[in-house]
Amino acid sequence: MAAVASPDYHEIDRQVMRTLQWPGWRYWVWVGALFLIVVWGALCWANQIYRGLGVTGLRQPNMWAAYITNFVFWVGIAHSGTLISAILYLFRSRWRTAVYRLAETMTGFAVLTAGLFPLIHLGRVWFFYWLLPYPNQRWLQPDFRSPLVWDAFAVSTYLTVSLLFLFMGLIPDVATARDESTGIRRTIYNMVALGWQGSEQQWRHFSGVYLLLAGLATPLVISVHSVVSWDFAMAQLPGWHSTIFAPYFVAGAIFSGCAMVLTLLIPLRKLLELEELITPWHIDNLARIVLFTSLIVSYSYVVESFMTWYSHDPFEMVTFQQRYFGPYGYLFWIMVVCNCLIPLALFSPRVRRNLTLLWVISIFVNVGMWLERFVIIAGSLATNFMPSQWGFWTPSLTEVSITAASFAWFLMLFSLFTRFLPIVSMTELKEGLRWLRQALRQESAEAA
Amino acid sequence: MAPEVSRRSFLKLAAATGAAAAVPGCKPAARHLIPYVIPDENVIPGVPSFYATACNECPAGCGVVARVREGRVIKLEGNPVDPIGAGALCARGQSALQGLYNPDRLQRPHRRGADHLINPVQWDDAMAQLGKALGAAGPNQVAFIGPPMGPAYEEIVARWMGAVNSRMRMVYAPIDSARERNLIRYCFGQDLTPLYRIDRARTLLSLGADFLETWYSPVELARQYAEFRIPSTKDGEVRFGTAYYVGTRMSMTAARCDQWLACRPQHEAAVALAMLRVMLDHNLVRPPQGIDPGAVKKFAAAYDPHAIADQSGVSAGMIERMAREFAQAQGALALAGTDDDAAHAAAWMLNAVTGNIGRTVTFAPSAQPPAAAEPGAVIEAMHQGNIKVAVIAHANPVFSMPLQARFAEALGKVPLVVWCGGVPDETAQYAHLLLPINHWLEDWGDGAPRPGISTLRQPTMSRVVYSRPLGDILLESARGAARDRAPEFEDTQSAVRQVWAHRFKNQPGSESFDDFWDRSLRQGGDFRQVNAAAAALRPEVFAKPIELPEAADRPDLTLAAYPHIYLYDGSGADKPWLQEIPEPVSQIVWDAWADIHTGTAQRLGIKENDIVRLAAPGGAIELPAHISDFVHPEVIAVPIGQGHTSYGRYAKLRGANPWLILPPGRMTVAIKAAATRRSRELVSPLYSSSMLARPIVETMSIAEFTQGSKPPPWEEPYPEPYETYPPVEYPVHEWGMTIDLNACTGCGACIAACYAENNVPFVGKEEVRRGHLMSWIRLERYIPATADAPPLLTMPMLCQHCSHAPCEPVCPVFAAVHSNEGLNLQVYNRCIGTRYCENNCPYKVRRFNWFKPQWPEPLNLQLNPDVTVRGAGVMEKCTFCVQRIVAAEVQAKLEDRKVRDGDIVPACAQACPSRAITFGDMKDKHSAMMQRRTEHHHRAYKALDEPLNTLPAITYLRQVYRPREEV
Repeated sequence: MAAVASPDYHEIDRQVMRTLQWPGWRYWVWVGALFLIVVWGALCWANQIYRGLGVTGLRQPNMWAAYITNFVFWVGIAHSGTLISAILYLFRSRWRTAVYRLAETMTGFAVLTAGLFPLIHLGRVWFFYWLLPYPNQRWLQPDFRSPLVWDAFAVSTYLTVSLLFLFMGLIPDVATARDESTGIRRTIYNMVALGWQGSEQQWRHFSGVYLLLAGLATPLVISVHSVVSWDFAMAQLPGWHSTIFAPYFVAGAIFSGCAMVLTLLIPLRKLLELEELITPWHIDNLARIVLFTSLIVSYSYVVESFMTWYSHDPFEMVTFQQRYFGPYGYLFWIMVVCNCLIPLALFSPRVRRNLTLLWVISIFVNVGMWLERFVIIAGSLATNFMPSQWGFWTPSLTEVSITAASFAWFLMLFSLFTRFLPIVSMTELKEGLRWLRQALRQESAEAA
Repeated sequence: MAPEVSRRSFLKLAAATGAAAAVPGCKPAARHLIPYVIPDENVIPGVPSFYATACNECPAGCGVVARVREGRVIKLEGNPVDPIGAGALCARGQSALQGLYNPDRLQRPHRRGADHLINPVQWDDAMAQLGKALGAAGPNQVAFIGPPMGPAYEEIVARWMGAVNSRMRMVYAPIDSARERNLIRYCFGQDLTPLYRIDRARTLLSLGADFLETWYSPVELARQYAEFRIPSTKDGEVRFGTAYYVGTRMSMTAARCDQWLACRPQHEAAVALAMLRVMLDHNLVRPPQGIDPGAVKKFAAAYDPHAIADQSGVSAGMIERMAREFAQAQGALALAGTDDDAAHAAAWMLNAVTGNIGRTVTFAPSAQPPAAAEPGAVIEAMHQGNIKVAVIAHANPVFSMPLQARFAEALGKVPLVVWCGGVPDETAQYAHLLLPINHWLEDWGDGAPRPGISTLRQPTMSRVVYSRPLGDILLESARGAARDRAPEFEDTQSAVRQVWAHRFKNQPGSESFDDFWDRSLRQGGDFRQVNAAAAALRPEVFAKPIELPEAADRPDLTLAAYPHIYLYDGSGADKPWLQEIPEPVSQIVWDAWADIHTGTAQRLGIKENDIVRLAAPGGAIELPAHISDFVHPEVIAVPIGQGHTSYGRYAKLRGANPWLILPPGRMTVAIKAAATRRSRELVSPLYSSSMLARPIVETMSIAEFTQGSKPPPWEEPYPEPYETYPPVEYPVHEWGMTIDLNACTGCGACIAACYAENNVPFVGKEEVRRGHLMSWIRLERYIPATADAPPLLTMPMLCQHCSHAPCEPVCPVFAAVHSNEGLNLQVYNRCIGTRYCENNCPYKVRRFNWFKPQWPEPLNLQLNPDVTVRGAGVMEKCTFCVQRIVAAEVQAKLEDRKVRDGDIVPACAQACPSRAITFGDMKDKHSAMMQRRTEHHHRAYKALDEPLNTLPAITYLRQVYRPREEV
């Protein structure tokens, strides 16, 4: 049994700064491979812009399918980051300090990824700015009745706030990195650190702004995904038109986001040798959130179906019957297994502590949550009011490529971040050193 | 190579259009170019001119008005003066434009070289070769093969035949009325042309006659049928025509009748004769004077209804019910359309015995048919090598003649085969000289579809390719062959004029010929009333019993070929609109299929889309199976029209050609069917055949109609829903539409009209399969689950122009906006393609441009300059033909008046043969559209409005039906 590690301030700095060393060739092969996938996706997009959306599998009546699913999926991923960094900050949660930077980074890049999809799915992307109210000589403005305009505002606000929040938190850590590096690196870190000296006045301003931003970001966790859900709930399509959507989507977002944090955290912790800073105690807490939100999501599925049955709305009834047993039915049942059944294993503390198992579960949840959005979006469109106009989308190479490229794009940005900026907040770890030590002690006691 | 026609030179050509009326394009077009500095007073850019002419796509011969903009025909509409079409035009007629502008039309004369490839030649060379060959040919060594072409052209052909000293004129049209003519001669003893009046009947019996599709004169009969089928209540009495269809498959026509009675092939006559027996047995009829009841009774005694019920598959009860209704109706009509002489004779017997001759059908003396040789004799002469020159025009016998006729083989023995036509077809493959001839929209001509009606055809625009009028080719070649015997006609135009002048001499009246000619040109012909000819059934008809098929001879499976409603005899297959509009019953596009009964398919182990091999004595064809209950179990029905091996890119290599395996003159043949291991997906834009009991196509039974038991929901005030936004105000107009589902036959004329008027692109089979069909108006088609419904539920579905339009508030950029005249506008320039509007449209009538639309040149010349061509990435949909609305409003403003009811007719309403669609102002309670709603208010409903409160501007009138008898 290893001795109980008890990192001090210096040890934290040392461990985190170690991640900022120039990466080896394996890292560059990984990033290079991701980059190639991104380039391939970009070429597919260029081809789609040049030839038209007909190169996708989109069809009457599946006007939306993979792209909007990806959009909702990535926006959803984003949410847990803000939850962990802002809401848990306000609640003074002890275990967030080690994982919040990673979650926050994930948020930023997930929103960046999500924000691409409303553009990719447009028929005429070169006019995307018409979605925004910009001054023009014809006084043409977007229609504020349209949920898509709300979406444009919600997502851009969210992107701004979450990037600002990420950037704010980075400042003291980047200053540390600046102090420990030389040459061009030092120059760049110097610029990013905005002249941080760690004076008391700076710390006072910092914590004030940090609290303010946390306060600003907190309602966004709820509102942004609510607005995204209204893209569907505001339409009168059976399967979309439902008042349950906002809380249902927010819970789903936290669920998928925490699962994504686990997906990223578990290997990262290993690869960057951060086991001492990110402990099973942290991960256990994340797993509990996944379990909790999984239960909310499962409850939502039940309520959604119950309300359909209870309403006896003939259109809704058929849509749900098709959702369970129609051509996309198998996707629904995979989703139920991934989102409702598999996470139940997290009731067991042993599963929550088994990192390999946890990682596998988190992948299942990611798959399940992607399918959930797909089943709602494409499945409901497929079984619309006009039985003669039903139709079932199948993916084209373009859509598969662009979806893969979105994952590559996200992972590429994330990977770059991990090796050039501190992925664990030194500042906050130091603030919460007491809790970290306690966790480590508890860990070793349990192990004993 | 296509002639390079730039926009500029086209505008120049446009200037020549006025002159074209006087000088049709018989010489190279370049000679008539008039510089624009001398403006032609007839051509005002932006203002259409209209030319009256006559449709030549089928023998019905409807009058047509061609709308010409800047020298191009852009739209064909029915000629309201013409008594046949009465202003309507079917899908085939509309699509003639795509024959005119077909990208595969032969661009210039071609000669086949020794290597069997064709090379372009100069017109002078080609004409010299033809003239020389004709000059060298001896008596009766020249054949002319073509359909009946109207009096003037027949005169040209007759004189040409005279000049080349031959009698080998073979009148050939794959679908003609020869059987009808022969049977009328047999039954009535004279050559008569029947004039059907379905609108005067109360009961209709069709023995396999698809009178709403391809039989006789579909536009005219559809109009009459609508009148017959629109239910009305007069003096407390409900009028609603009863129609029965006895036949081997449920055609679109059968689907519009009360009941389709599946009948074993060749047994339609038996059913009719059994009805005759029932009528006489029960003394339901008193035969009119001239018909001896005793003789009829004796004749009919052989047809026992019960025995015939066993044989035909039509129940005895049904036979009796039909007999009673037919006999007791105030006007009844039996129509026969099968390839069985007996059915035709039986239909005339029914009509005559029930005293309906002169009531629901009248006769006029037939015009003399063109002098012609027996087709068999001509083919035999070709086989013998006695024909040195064969000229084939407007016909494709290699495609449409059975292999048994050995026509292609005979053609191979002719030293010079001259093919005259548009798109090179199968027959052109055998030709040595291929001459492009003017399309009927570019040519002079006339037609005499029936006594009293003479249509006049005139060029509506300058030529599209380096073609010549067929008449000019014949006249010039005759001069080249024999100067002494050459006809005195100078060219086609003067021939038509002289023929008309000759006929004018025999007509009474004070009008000068010039006035008469101008008037006829203007109105598209000369239309007169003709006195009905007296006709009585010959007593001998009842003397000889009609032989019915023996049960022992009955084949296991019969192939029943039928002309496809759009592709007709195959001539429609080169027109992409006709390929892309789904066949009304099967809803299949761009293909041919074999209709197989569910039970038969099970027995043969065939699944949907499996390719089936249909082997007849004359050969075999292979087609994918389409399995339904809409065909008799012993029949495999196959549409005619596909299976081209040539005939342009749109027709080539699609489906199979049943003509090849049919015996000469027949539409049925005994076959053996076997599954192959291959399959091919039949593509339809429709997914579900079940309406899931949703309020889409609403119906009411005749009982409900009589009681008026269905409340008029559209009149009821809606419960005031909470409105976030103030309701839209309509200060002047609120455009709306009324569509009578009892009148609508599902023929698709509206769809073709919409394609033509609104520059709607066609996309091809693969894109239809991928859900990318672009048509703005579609036929909803559902198959009812119970017998307490019409045989088929159909309705035209187009943008409903909702007042509470779900598409509008979801558009982020105001591309979908509501006008203050009640239109849902789609601003193409503003659309960024989020497609949210289509997601939220419950009717699914919006269409997204997945790709940049393509019209291979010169199909693009047909595009309507008043309508934007949409680019890739924008949404589009029905606009209620907003360009026509605006044009009418501008015109009204210029004339300082209000828009009158009827000023605006959208393309779909204009085309509709049965006048099912009416357009007008909902604020004007006296508009024809609102009158129709008021008059039929107990049938009025709005699709999906009750659950969704969309407040559509389209009101449908419920389809009234009689519950079917379970068979």
